[in-house]
Amino acid sequence: MVQKNIRNFCIIAHIDHGKSTLADRILEATGALNQREMTQQVLDSMDLERERGITIKLKAVRLTYRAHTGEEYVLNLIDTPGHVDFSYEVSRSLAACEGALLVIDASQGVEAQTLANLYLALEHDLEIIPVINKIDLPNADPERVKRELEDIGLPGDDAILVSARTGQGIEGVLDAIVQRIPPPTGDPQAPTRAMIFDSHYDQYRGAVAYARIVEGTIRVGDTIHMMSSGRRFEVTELGVLQPQFTPVTVLGPGEVGCIMASMKNVSDTRVGDTITTARNPAAQPLSGYRPAKPMVYAGLYPVVNEEYTLLRDALDKLQLNDAALTYDAESSAALGFGYRCGFLGLLHMEVVQERLEREFGLNLITTAPSVVYRVVMKDGTVKEIDNPTALPPVTTIEQIEEPFVRATILVPGDFIGAVMEVCQERRGIFITMEYITPERARLEYELPLAEILMDFFDRLKSRTKGYASLDYEFIGYRASDVVKLDILLNGNPVDALSTIVHRDKAAARARALAEKLKEVIPRQQFEVPIQAAIGSKIIARETVRALRKDVLAKCYGGDISRKKKLLEKQKEGKKRMKSLGNVEVPQEAFMAILKVD
Amino acid sequence: MGVYVHIPFCARKCFYCDFHSLEVRDAHRFAHLVDSYLAALRREALYFRSIWGDKPIESLFIGGGTPSLLPADKLASFISFLRTELPFAAAPEITMEANPHSLSEEGMEVLTGAGVNRVSLGAQAFQDGLLRAIGRLHRAEQIGESVHLLRRAGVSSINLDLIFGLPGQSLVHWRESLEQALALEPDHLSCYALTVEPGTLLHAWQEAGVLQLPGEDEQADMYDLTRTMLPEAGYEHYEISNFSRPGHRCRHNLLYWHNRPYIGLGSGAAGYVHGCRYSNRADLDGYIKSWEKGEPSYEEFQELNPEQQMDETMMLGMRLLEGVAEEEFRRRFGVSYWDVYREAITELIGQGLVEEVQGYLRTTELGLLLENRVSAAFLR
Repeated sequence: MVQKNIRNFCIIAHIDHGKSTLADRILEATGALNQREMTQQVLDSMDLERERGITIKLKAVRLTYRAHTGEEYVLNLIDTPGHVDFSYEVSRSLAACEGALLVIDASQGVEAQTLANLYLALEHDLEIIPVINKIDLPNADPERVKRELEDIGLPGDDAILVSARTGQGIEGVLDAIVQRIPPPTGDPQAPTRAMIFDSHYDQYRGAVAYARIVEGTIRVGDTIHMMSSGRRFEVTELGVLQPQFTPVTVLGPGEVGCIMASMKNVSDTRVGDTITTARNPAAQPLSGYRPAKPMVYAGLYPVVNEEYTLLRDALDKLQLNDAALTYDAESSAALGFGYRCGFLGLLHMEVVQERLEREFGLNLITTAPSVVYRVVMKDGTVKEIDNPTALPPVTTIEQIEEPFVRATILVPGDFIGAVMEVCQERRGIFITMEYITPERARLEYELPLAEILMDFFDRLKSRTKGYASLDYEFIGYRASDVVKLDILLNGNPVDALSTIVHRDKAAARARALAEKLKEVIPRQQFEVPIQAAIGSKIIARETVRALRKDVLAKCYGGDISRKKKLLEKQKEGKKRMKSLGNVEVPQEAFMAILKVD
Repeated sequence: MGVYVHIPFCARKCFYCDFHSLEVRDAHRFAHLVDSYLAALRREALYFRSIWGDKPIESLFIGGGTPSLLPADKLASFISFLRTELPFAAAPEITMEANPHSLSEEGMEVLTGAGVNRVSLGAQAFQDGLLRAIGRLHRAEQIGESVHLLRRAGVSSINLDLIFGLPGQSLVHWRESLEQALALEPDHLSCYALTVEPGTLLHAWQEAGVLQLPGEDEQADMYDLTRTMLPEAGYEHYEISNFSRPGHRCRHNLLYWHNRPYIGLGSGAAGYVHGCRYSNRADLDGYIKSWEKGEPSYEEFQELNPEQQMDETMMLGMRLLEGVAEEEFRRRFGVSYWDVYREAITELIGQGLVEEVQGYLRTTELGLLLENRVSAAFLR
């Protein structure tokens, strides 16, 4: 392929601004797929992605485009996840491109992730093509959005107006890609360096790396060397996705393709790692690699203890596809054997839990997610604690540190007060505020990550009528006065319900949590006291009163099958509960802490 | 063996009711519909006659809907038809359901002439306000009038249906209903807890948050009051929701609770014949049409394996205060319930919900109010 006719680009957008639909239209317009072959949103291939309308795994598609000049171009579209949990993957796919389409909803305008993605793209020195989408909607206001673009330093008049839904304006987008995005540079004779920006697991081929060749070439038969892990493999197959897999024998500078080399799992092909070859080895890897680091930990336990080995097998399989997922066996007095799993964020956690339940038929209890606390001991050692139960005795602790993030919140001017209140309630430290457009303010706060986990975004949304958008990044650990809050059911401590909370909030949280548990734990045959305690001191108490009656339904006209079905359904519901001692506890109870304030 | 006949017509659908029934609006059309429906029922009865054979039928139960809405002469001749064509035992129990607003003395005499000897009257409550709130068309005073009418017409066994846990009902109301019911000296009382079923008006109101239902504790108090008052007045508590004077237990319903066979006739009816459970489609026109062609039209048809039969025997039998006889269970299935349900029974005994007394496994006082738990424990 002639290098000057290659264009590598990605699409970045705030969630729901129409990134996937635009990708679909581009595929259609370049003839990569005809309309009949299109299932909506081709790039989102996991069922879950399509249902939730989010892009979890990015992929690359190679398109052929004949410009008005008659010249033929190869366009590599690299899809990126649109959620803050996956920002590292976003940054890797940006690194594989020379340009980016920045999609902005014509009625919503610039949002927090628009800004965050824009900054990331500028950091990678990408050519940015603003695309104002959804101009067919009645409340679209492209002129206002153009002004907002000017306000954030982009030439508003360069924006392309499209409706990805109807296809209007798509030709203009393709033209701009060819005209405005520079072709890749890179010497084919130089030592080989390719960056992995995604990988996935294929049942037959093993782990497949998606990589962008920066310099040099990779050929079938080459021995490749993963520069961070040091592992070596022999290339068995190379290919590009058009979007169907098409084999090639060589990938040169600027090209994007997939590499198969009998790798057993995706941890052999870590996103961000540099591939070089034995034939023409590079001395230095490309910059910017860091292993994805879980920020949130939660215990996953099978409701039925016998399913523990099934859970292990399922996690093994899932990890083949998801290098960011970590898990270690743990045991809980209350829940039995399970796994402590690390996630990039809450969405990642939900996605994993849902995939385990849906694809592997498991029935799981997820404990409340926790951040990783750094505990400095009196003897000077430091422990990283990802499970409240593991917190050492208070007397041995010098201090506890918790992770902080810098949160960027974009909101219309009217709601600044509301945002400040929510952040204040969540121990936020105000950093700065500025108006990025006359109507819209950007607030920066430093917040404990633990507070973000607790329904922060939902609360922010509800207090700002849905207008606030949020992005955040980890900034470091800070000393914090936190304590462990324990829950006792029927007098017995339930380790899986313990949480770490800030001391000033402990009393209020304890009361709210006890109340919430009273709501979600069904009445049992006997009275169940719920107590919240710090150490041996009970600070809140509620009681689930004894169940006196279940339904005394009429077994009518001999319709016994119906009665039986009802009972069976009830029994199914009971199976989803976890028996702690003799108290039946539903799954929601373990998440209750997230829903209180 | 018994026969259940479903009459899916009502003057008005009660707000809590999700049984298969149509509101009658047009008298002319109704008369026509009744004729075609009874014709279809006759065909279905003959079909089951051929399947069932000659074993004697002990009871007939005509339920609904509102059977008393049918013209008495038509219903009477239908009953006579069944008694001629099906192998009824001598002196069968023949029950019909009736609503207090739709009874006439002459009609009732015709029906007793055809053999009706038991009437189950949908009294439900003795407060006009409560009756209106659930869509009943009768007033409280009509209940007493109906009972006297039934006695005069020669009905030898009268049941009153009562419901507790109604919207706006207090324990005081319930006590009053029980007292007034007892004053009428019925032979049998069925006292059911209201369940709000999806698809009913009550359900819609509940979803909308406008329904004021008594709480769980209050309903339990109502049940406890029932269990105290009725036995004191000489009624035996023999099934979770049923009380009778000596010699007046409902033989037909006992068939269900003993998990014995019965034929179900009519649109939406369920039956249990030769170990097969079936239910007819709840579609009146479809039912009539399929029997015009002489074909059954089932919603469900399932042959039960021995495990399922055992489960259902336990699930139903535990509703009876006497419980399930180990000897009888062993005679029927060749094993003891202990062999099959040891774990479940042990757990239930541990929880104080069941006990074994003189060869019977039965639900305890505590277990009665938690009957769903007890029953569900026997489903595998």
